[in-house]
Amino acid sequence: MKNLQIILNAILSKNIFEYILVDTNLNVLSASDGIGKYLWSVPKEGEDALNYLPELVGNEEEIKSIFTKKYCLYSLESVYKNEYYVNITVEYCDKNTAIILLHNITSNTLAAQQILQYSNEAALLNNTLQKVVDNQSSLLFVINEKEEIAFANQKFLDYFNVKSLDGLKGMKLKLYKYYDETLKSYDELYQHIYGHESSISIEKDTFVIHVSQIETTHKLFTLSKVTEVHKKKKRLEVELQIDALTKTYRKSYFDVQLDKELSEGNPFALVVTDIDDFKAVNDIHGHLAGDTVLKEFSTLLKDHLRQDDLLARWGGDEFLILLKRTDEENALHKVEELRKMVDEYLFSHNEDITATFGIACVEKDDDINTLLLRADKALYKAKENGKNRVILKKA
Amino acid sequence: MIRKKILLLGDFGVGKTSLICRYIDNTFNDSYLTTIGVKISKKLMILNDIECELLIWDIEGKTPTKSIPHSYFKGASGAIFVGDVTRHETIIGLNEHINTFLMMNGDAKHVIAYNKADLLTKQQIEALDVASNVFLTSAKSDMNVEALFSTITKEMIL
Repeated sequence: MKNLQIILNAILSKNIFEYILVDTNLNVLSASDGIGKYLWSVPKEGEDALNYLPELVGNEEEIKSIFTKKYCLYSLESVYKNEYYVNITVEYCDKNTAIILLHNITSNTLAAQQILQYSNEAALLNNTLQKVVDNQSSLLFVINEKEEIAFANQKFLDYFNVKSLDGLKGMKLKLYKYYDETLKSYDELYQHIYGHESSISIEKDTFVIHVSQIETTHKLFTLSKVTEVHKKKKRLEVELQIDALTKTYRKSYFDVQLDKELSEGNPFALVVTDIDDFKAVNDIHGHLAGDTVLKEFSTLLKDHLRQDDLLARWGGDEFLILLKRTDEENALHKVEELRKMVDEYLFSHNEDITATFGIACVEKDDDINTLLLRADKALYKAKENGKNRVILKKA
Repeated sequence: MIRKKILLLGDFGVGKTSLICRYIDNTFNDSYLTTIGVKISKKLMILNDIECELLIWDIEGKTPTKSIPHSYFKGASGAIFVGDVTRHETIIGLNEHINTFLMMNGDAKHVIAYNKADLLTKQQIEALDVASNVFLTSAKSDMNVEALFSTITKEMIL
């Protein structure tokens, strides 16, 4: 026992270890003086060691087995004791004595705690940021240098019905194709849309798409769903192009389409028509009857045109027809059909209604003005020749 | 007097230390301080004339890179598994904690705390479908903290 005390004192001089010597009932035999800093007071001989070291409760049998086995695997790491951190181990001394060692690891543990604190705070912050991102109404995704989706928020995963980012990686989504079929990468999409607002349609939905470079290798794409707004806008745009009375297009829209046909170099015919003696209809039957005739006349024409032909009201009782992919012969044939149909149609107020038509087929060097002028001249000529007829004028 | 060792287990930052502070000292601090290792607190309880000293082990939380040393589990009579009800992954992770603990302490009792319940709306709380051994707790508002500890104590002693 005396030798043991000498060895222990040598160890204790380093101020790293403190000890309690216990008997087979785990009652205190003696303790180092310095142990008080961990236990508030120095245990006295005969006291229950567990009163000072409740950490051992529940493990009494295992610790007591040390007296028969001569070893004990019981040890506890990083136990907080009165502002110190200690490792607790139990060692065999002799058949009646065991030593409980308290190894001071405070400085190392506090350093480790600092690191753990930063790490856990960062993880919690990351968790909060993830929630913020997931709760955005927009679909967010990040593309890395390998053209892979490196991150996507919950809204994005939900939209594409994917449970996790890993599932998304397997899908190899090529969203740039929805923007433009010819694009081959997200990088090309980035080049197309960077710096301005663009829209992209995915299935039935329309999104406003934004992009920003978040690292040199990563790009953040944001898709904000605007399907309803987009539909309303489209509807409004169309409504603005429609004549309220006849439900035909306005001349402004017609001009745009005419210009488009001209620039694409497609063959087509431009027809100008008006109702013969329409002023008399207004004078005799009133303007309401005149409106009815205009509605019936335009409906009649519309119903007998192809789906991609265009009918527009130029003003008053004058209308414009764009017959796409139509040469002179077909134009004459088609318009003659329309004239006959109007002539034979029984209008609501029982008055005979006829219409006169002037045609101009597109020729080299034509523009909107030359075409309109030529078709208008053809109409004038047909009126001069007795109305209710069709005349085609060449350049 | 009998002594019972009881552990608080769960992921980091779920409020294990706060629950103990509320239970032992009736205090609460909003700032987060990571627990490292283990700190033991004592609470004397008398149930049906039985004097019991609860030895409550506040054990550091599990992180993605650091597991809890199994040496802490030895000799425990009960455990409270704590999850943060606002962090879904900490609730999902409870099963792993429970399984690991029960493998070492087959006869031990346990209850579950869905902590930080003060952050939920009334509707969210009503929508939660929880088992009978699950307590919606809040160390901040002192919701169900006493009930949590007294339930596990009764199960261990009686």
